[in-house]
Amino acid sequence: MTEMKPPTIATWMLVHLVPGPRNDALAGDLLEEFRQGRGNGWYWRQVIAAIVIGVSRELRNHSTVMLFAAGWAMLAPAWLLIVGNAEEHFNLSERIWQMDWPWSTVCDIGLLLAANVLFIWAGIFLYLIPHLLAARNLRVRPLLKGILASLPVLIAIWAALVVLPKIFLESQVVDQHSVAPVSAFSSMHKAPIEIRQVSPQEQWDMRYGEKAIDPYNSPRSALTDLRTVAIVVRLPFFLTILCSLWGAALRFGNRNPGITA
Amino acid sequence: MMILLAVIHLGEEAYGVPISRELERHRGKDVSVGSVYAALERLESKTLVASSLGDPTPERGGKAKRYFRITKAGLRQVHETRRVLSKLWQTLPELKGERT
Repeated sequence: MTEMKPPTIATWMLVHLVPGPRNDALAGDLLEEFRQGRGNGWYWRQVIAAIVIGVSRELRNHSTVMLFAAGWAMLAPAWLLIVGNAEEHFNLSERIWQMDWPWSTVCDIGLLLAANVLFIWAGIFLYLIPHLLAARNLRVRPLLKGILASLPVLIAIWAALVVLPKIFLESQVVDQHSVAPVSAFSSMHKAPIEIRQVSPQEQWDMRYGEKAIDPYNSPRSALTDLRTVAIVVRLPFFLTILCSLWGAALRFGNRNPGITA
Repeated sequence: MMILLAVIHLGEEAYGVPISRELERHRGKDVSVGSVYAALERLESKTLVASSLGDPTPERGGKAKRYFRITKAGLRQVHETRRVLSKLWQTLPELKGERT
């Protein structure tokens, strides 16, 4: 006698799409019921319900992290403008490009990466330290784990954003003073003026003068910049902080140990 | 509360499938096993139930059953809820349409 087999795709979804590592008991229960005579429709409904419940529970457990990551990422364009201003002030771009290859490229990428990582690490510290202090258990390991995790995640997301949407972003970069790490990266090679430097005189003019004002060219106004480019700028920061804090957040935010083996 | 009562009722045999069946039998409608587990996880985090793994069986594809049992705190909670509910019912005014 052949055993009844539940739909393969549904079983795959149950194993791979229900969040949490301890779903064996649930998978066994569904299989047991299916073999007792429940139909394919019942199995599918159970799997979809399990996915929806699992995902919504994960999102609920991480709502604080998501809100924090979104809030911190909102500051990213302003931070990049500040970095751009500092870069201009110390004439760093010119100094870097006077170096021999490959040092010029290494320093160029390193500088941008360092600026981004500094911003992300500041966010991670800001989120974790109050949680650690509130738990009265200042442990270095989760902190280091989050910080170390941020590097590969940032590089992967950043690389993807540089390589993939470069084509459609560049068309916007030409006409706008973008502060995207994507455009910053490409503009440093092609049009160094793209990272808009705001001189003290220009800042004064923008605030008090009557000259034409670029509405997004001060750190303060960059905070409320909601153009596509600015949202794309925030995306790597949002995803990196989210990925870095996701695992660490469970230790502090979610007291629910789940079903332990 | 319903899940706690089902766990008490099933005793040694309280795992996902019988708990879901018990709820289905009393509620008269389909119950998602996933939601039963989600509720049991919450109860376990509040130490109202405890769980342990059984042996893997071939009819379950080699997956072990997870048995749940009520804890002392869970039992206290059930009694307390029953007491409060009984009190509330007694103090309720006569419901409209109750007498025919």
